[in-house]
Amino acid sequence: MSETILTAHNMTRRYGGFTAVNDVSIEVTRGEIRGLIGPNGAGKSTLMDLICGRGSGYSAGSVTLMGHRLDGLPARQRRRLGLGRSFQKTNIFPDLTVAEQIRLAARAMKTGDAEEIMSELNLADLAEARAGDISYGAQRRLDLALALIGRPPVVLLDEPAAGLSIGESLALSRLLEDLTRRWNVTVLIVEHDMEVIFSICDRITVLQAGRILADGDADAIRSNEEVVRAYLGSAVS
Amino acid sequence: MLVLILNGLVYGSLLYILSVGLVLIFGLRRVTNFAHGGLFMVGAYVGYAAASLGGFWVGLAVSIGVLAVFGVVIDRAIFRPLTDRDPVNTILVTFGLLLVLEDGVRTLFGKDFLVLKPPVELSGMVSILGSPFPSYRLFVIGVAVVVAAVLALWLMKSRVGLHVRAASVDPVTTGIQGIDTEILGMMVVAIGTGLAGLAGVVAAPLMALSPSMGGFVLIDCFIVVVTGGLTSFTGAFVAALVIGQIHNLGVAYFPAFASLVPLLVMVVVLVLRPHGLAKEAH
Amino acid sequence: MASSPSLASPESGGPSRLAGGIGGMLAVAAVLVVAGFSLPVVISSMLVLTLLTQATLQALLAISVGFLFRQNGLTSFGQAGWFGLAAYTVAVNGRFGWVAPETAVVAALVVPTVLAALLGTVIVRLPHLAFSMLTLAVAQAVHEVFLKWRTLANGDDGIEVRLPKRLFGLDIALFQQPQTMVVIVWIALVLVVVALLFFARSHTGLLTRAIRDNEERARYIGYETLLPRVVVYAVSALVAAIAGVLFSLYNGFVTPGLLHWSLSGEALIMAFIGGPRVIWGPVLGAGLFFLLKDFAGDHTEHWPAIIGGILMIVTILLPEGLAGLAQRVGRRLWSRRAA
Repeated sequence: MSETILTAHNMTRRYGGFTAVNDVSIEVTRGEIRGLIGPNGAGKSTLMDLICGRGSGYSAGSVTLMGHRLDGLPARQRRRLGLGRSFQKTNIFPDLTVAEQIRLAARAMKTGDAEEIMSELNLADLAEARAGDISYGAQRRLDLALALIGRPPVVLLDEPAAGLSIGESLALSRLLEDLTRRWNVTVLIVEHDMEVIFSICDRITVLQAGRILADGDADAIRSNEEVVRAYLGSAVS
Repeated sequence: MLVLILNGLVYGSLLYILSVGLVLIFGLRRVTNFAHGGLFMVGAYVGYAAASLGGFWVGLAVSIGVLAVFGVVIDRAIFRPLTDRDPVNTILVTFGLLLVLEDGVRTLFGKDFLVLKPPVELSGMVSILGSPFPSYRLFVIGVAVVVAAVLALWLMKSRVGLHVRAASVDPVTTGIQGIDTEILGMMVVAIGTGLAGLAGVVAAPLMALSPSMGGFVLIDCFIVVVTGGLTSFTGAFVAALVIGQIHNLGVAYFPAFASLVPLLVMVVVLVLRPHGLAKEAH
Repeated sequence: MASSPSLASPESGGPSRLAGGIGGMLAVAAVLVVAGFSLPVVISSMLVLTLLTQATLQALLAISVGFLFRQNGLTSFGQAGWFGLAAYTVAVNGRFGWVAPETAVVAALVVPTVLAALLGTVIVRLPHLAFSMLTLAVAQAVHEVFLKWRTLANGDDGIEVRLPKRLFGLDIALFQQPQTMVVIVWIALVLVVVALLFFARSHTGLLTRAIRDNEERARYIGYETLLPRVVVYAVSALVAAIAGVLFSLYNGFVTPGLLHWSLSGEALIMAFIGGPRVIWGPVLGAGLFFLLKDFAGDHTEHWPAIIGGILMIVTILLPEGLAGLAQRVGRRLWSRRAA
């Protein structure tokens, strides 16, 4: 199946005189894990924000998910149409327990798999713990759980491994790859951790200064001179 | 009519001096200082006491000084320890402080109204476009203009002022950059409370002193701050002028419902711009 | 992680614990209702019964403040506005006789709730401080209206609450004598607390706490976030209105002071000394407040300073309030028993 599930055309965002994302178009194929990388300030998170309709500043472009136009729709409607999102800065409900918030999210998606996702993401033991009190790594997984509950067709992951140790990052990336393949969830993932990107992504798009620099599979990107020069440098393994 | 407008400016000036102190404190310490009206009141009384010994100007100077020191104490004892806690905590504590201050002043000075006379030099009238106007009231407007100018210069031009503006927008990053937000915060709070003292003494000849004098001024003050946009100095300036003017016009033309008018202004502004008149949310 | 006068629900748990929780809750409520009937029997002092009646009414107002904070994370400085509005609705109708007294009582509950819902749609979205200031300003504005509109409300002199001999089939004297009214308001308090506990456990209760924690993420998991918060604000106004209606029936007289921010302030103090984390926390706060006020009134003129000082100390040292402390101690005692 190589149908396109998510398209974003001519995505642009400007803050005053500064253009963060400059006429970027991207098409994500159903079932793929698509990486979005680039140096700091390249516009990766902003592009993700544009796709979910988040943030301020001048915005332009159109987003289509499985044939539905998402432009102008509020976040909750995009979620219900099938677009999940996790956040770079952990965005959970600190005073609710882990179970409470996952069940809340599950109910919004009219699904019953709260217990399942807790066990998939190793949160079952922490179910009754207050989310503000659990470890940072557990909070990152909770953030992911809130994005993945209900098995949305497409999920946007914004640096899911941010702040995690190398071991935790690898474990998380394997978990993500396994889960999303089993659940047929298409993933667009922003990451700085190249290990994660190269190990799980089918295809990688490189952004620089608000534009697409390169696009291709892991080998193509690794050997792309421009990319190496602009971004990867010695980060290439 | 001219006198009416001028009186509106006078009230607006008072509101500005008081409000800008709140903005300073909120900006740096993210603290809602509910005791600010109480500090205004204490400033008036301290000024009264000092003035009875050395005259109006001495009263003014002493009040500013005492209130500034008091601000340092409050900052260290209350604002700093509660920095990481939910903001409602500072609301509660400063509210409790307000009650304590009111009671303290009532105990020391009694409930009856006291009068602080303006200094002899400013007790006369001046002629503004043909209308007589008390020179003291002109002085009040002048004080506000001076405060605004000095603050603007300080914030725009001096290094410390730059730090204050930076920390006011983003205390965390400024802290990371090695600027001592603690000392900065303490200083800013002292300036804020000092301004409350200034406002108290300046206002005293215009209104009788009583332990509850802070009450209704405080509400208008909060209306100004919220309408202006919690951390905006220019917003507070504009809002104070507008609210002061509208309040006075309201008192003149709709005395029964005068206090509703500033409220209406605030509601309208907030409906259209939830973060107040300021250009962007803090 | 910023620590608040902590808001985490201690009631979370699996379905079986939930059932046990509800059953236990209803059992305690039933006991309390029965105990209410015994109050006039056990307490013979008319003064104490009067104080208890007043304290219970204040406790209701304190609960309305605490509930709003617990569910929405918002601090209202204007709950006295809804309280006074309800009281005046009954009184003004008694003065002019527009509708039947029973209808006025219902209206006194409905009008504040509806107005709060309308106001809520505008102000609930605002930054916390703006919300608080607006509630203060709105309540003060209502206060001004009733103070200045003499033909309607007789200004500072207030209005007598004229009532028929029977109300809803009950003898009006039941509402006006402390020995019977204390039972009525006590039961009202218990019923309100039970109702709010149910609300807190409901989906809307959980959703509003989530919105309070993180409004953005609540939207990103698929929820509309304005209406639930408006519902909570309207419910808090309803609770205040219930207290206002009961007050007007009991006191027989209303004055603009019922709308003054100092009353809202007192309710706020009670709510936070008791601790809004627990639905019934403000009741503890009200009880302590009244005890202290009574004691202090006999011995000193400095009541405001005392309560102000206590508020400061409790906020700094005991952010969870007395109820939170009581729960913690209770849990520790319980686990020591089980061990």
